[in-house]
Amino acid sequence: MKPFTYVRPADARAASAAAGASGASFLAGGTTLIDLMRLEVMTPSAVVDLGRLPLATVERHGDGLRIGAMARNADVATHATVVERYPLLAQALLAGASPQVRNMATVGGNLLQRTRCPYFRDLAVPCNKRAPGTGCSALEGYTRSHAILGTSAACIATHPSDMCVALAALDAVVHTRNGGRERAIPFGDFHTLPGEQPEVENVLEQGELVTHVELPASPFAAHAHYVKVRDRAAFAFALASAAVGLDVADGRIRAARIALGGVATRPWRALEAEQVLVGQPPSRAIFERAAAAAIVDPKPRRDNAFKVGLAKRTIVRALELAWGKS
Amino acid sequence: MRSMGTPIEIGTVAPSFVLHGDARRPLSSSEARGRPWVLAFARRWTPGVDDGAIRAQLRGLGAILFIVSDTGVWSFRPDDDIELSAGPSPRLRKELAELDARWGVAAGEDGVFVIDGEAIIRFAHAPGGELTSTLGIALEAAGRELLGLPPRPGITRRDWAVMSLVAGFGLVFLHGCRERGPERPAAPPARTATDAGAEVDVVLRINGQDRRLRIDARVSLLDALREHLSLTGARKGCDHGQCGACTVLRDGRAVNACLTLAIAAEGAEITTIEGLAKGDQLHPVQAAFISHDAFQCGYCTSGQILNAVALLREGRAKTDDEVRQQMSGNICRCGAYPNIIAAIQTARKEV
Repeated sequence: MKPFTYVRPADARAASAAAGASGASFLAGGTTLIDLMRLEVMTPSAVVDLGRLPLATVERHGDGLRIGAMARNADVATHATVVERYPLLAQALLAGASPQVRNMATVGGNLLQRTRCPYFRDLAVPCNKRAPGTGCSALEGYTRSHAILGTSAACIATHPSDMCVALAALDAVVHTRNGGRERAIPFGDFHTLPGEQPEVENVLEQGELVTHVELPASPFAAHAHYVKVRDRAAFAFALASAAVGLDVADGRIRAARIALGGVATRPWRALEAEQVLVGQPPSRAIFERAAAAAIVDPKPRRDNAFKVGLAKRTIVRALELAWGKS
Repeated sequence: MRSMGTPIEIGTVAPSFVLHGDARRPLSSSEARGRPWVLAFARRWTPGVDDGAIRAQLRGLGAILFIVSDTGVWSFRPDDDIELSAGPSPRLRKELAELDARWGVAAGEDGVFVIDGEAIIRFAHAPGGELTSTLGIALEAAGRELLGLPPRPGITRRDWAVMSLVAGFGLVFLHGCRERGPERPAAPPARTATDAGAEVDVVLRINGQDRRLRIDARVSLLDALREHLSLTGARKGCDHGQCGACTVLRDGRAVNACLTLAIAAEGAEITTIEGLAKGDQLHPVQAAFISHDAFQCGYCTSGQILNAVALLREGRAKTDDEVRQQMSGNICRCGAYPNIIAAIQTARKEV
């Protein structure tokens, strides 16, 4: 691990000031950062520990919910209001990582989780995300875990988070602060596509601190489900996952939410697929049509072509479980 | 039944209660069925370190404990798992407001009542006026009062049983409240920037003792334990948070010591395998791992045990499948999994 300066500021303003210099990194739960620092994939010159900031509360806010950036994944997943009103989020969180990691990992850190692409983690090979301009080893490499949506000629790494898939479906808003400036970033605008610059993964500026995530009131609690397909039943990253919600009234779908994980370079909201469902009575046939509409212009590689079909079947399965009648 | 708001009187019949909350099965004082019971208004209480000790006290006296806390209403039966009987819900809030009024405890305040097998209130401590910040303080006062009582001729065995229940339970609960305190886990102190690569003084609280180290900020909690404090029970397997051999308890919760910077663990209460036994008496999970032969080479065992201890304290995983899921962050290359599950399910009855 490369040497770094360590600071534990007393408040958010001091934290942003300390992390304002290029090369500085915030430290929350540490489950990604410390791992990647030990591999020297990440080499921050300064580590700004957020452990002292009072950002761990989960509280109702109007009709919605405010989740502090430092709230632990395990605490959010078992929070009574989350379980009752946002079961999709609870399910997605519990599908991720191990109990130990969920006890450490935070909501803010999970938003900024780095990819598990093996080439990103291997200093011996080129990677545009780790070392911009060196090339992408995955393109001609072993691509079973890689993305089929949102890829570019520079990067095909998947976004690894389960939580973010649920947040995309739930229309979350990410709140940030940088000194005196505050921003509210709609979830769909938070993560960026790799394009020519895969090293940039979100719209945060240097020193900008995520303070909390806001969830609006959700009509999807009664019919929501997160399905994660992976190589083993626990502690594995998704090959494909789907977070779906249905708002059904008078036998017809009034509104729908579909988001995908494990198949795209960022948490992937499938707006076209949602529109297919609106106004229709729930049925296997309409779920299959929605699933087909969710995978637009996929770019499979040699080892991950199976994800095109797997993603569709994962969506159908999630919709059936959400509706509860198949 | 007494009218709402009337203070509770010693020697009178205890008001019964039924709480529905959002639970499938309502929680009722009638569960006591001829046994003594304790009703504790302990708003900041959460299940944790002293559950086993509390249950042991209750088992000795065949009593039931109901705890009214901010997280819901919990029941402890001497021969059963701790159970969240009624979780937070609008209905429970309404029911609890009525319960508070009926027992004369102000909203948010702590108090404790002991009811004997004939449903007579034997002991009441519900501080009014001056706020008592923790139930522990209330119980300490109660214990002093009780222990200071001169022996009375003609006192029944049941009276003594109830009194020792209060005293024993009070001491245990007091200990628990002090250990955890209402503010735990405490925020670590602020720290100004260290120089890159320089050694700095760090104080870690390990197994109840403050340990001072001089370390580089890069040192992980795992390396601090193993290389600087000679606590080699936490093992280095993968050093990437994937194998669980380094699992320790941080403020009672299982974490990967390899993914924790030691300097970032300042202010936290760390428990390692070395801090689990009480003298020569093994923790029930340790004893169960031995009796079930729940290891072969033993390298992963301390991490397995600490995660199991946390799992049992949290009380969520009950079935074998739930235990497997909750133990999924601990890899055993010898494949002792069946015996590990069996050991945990046996230890569940002891902790």
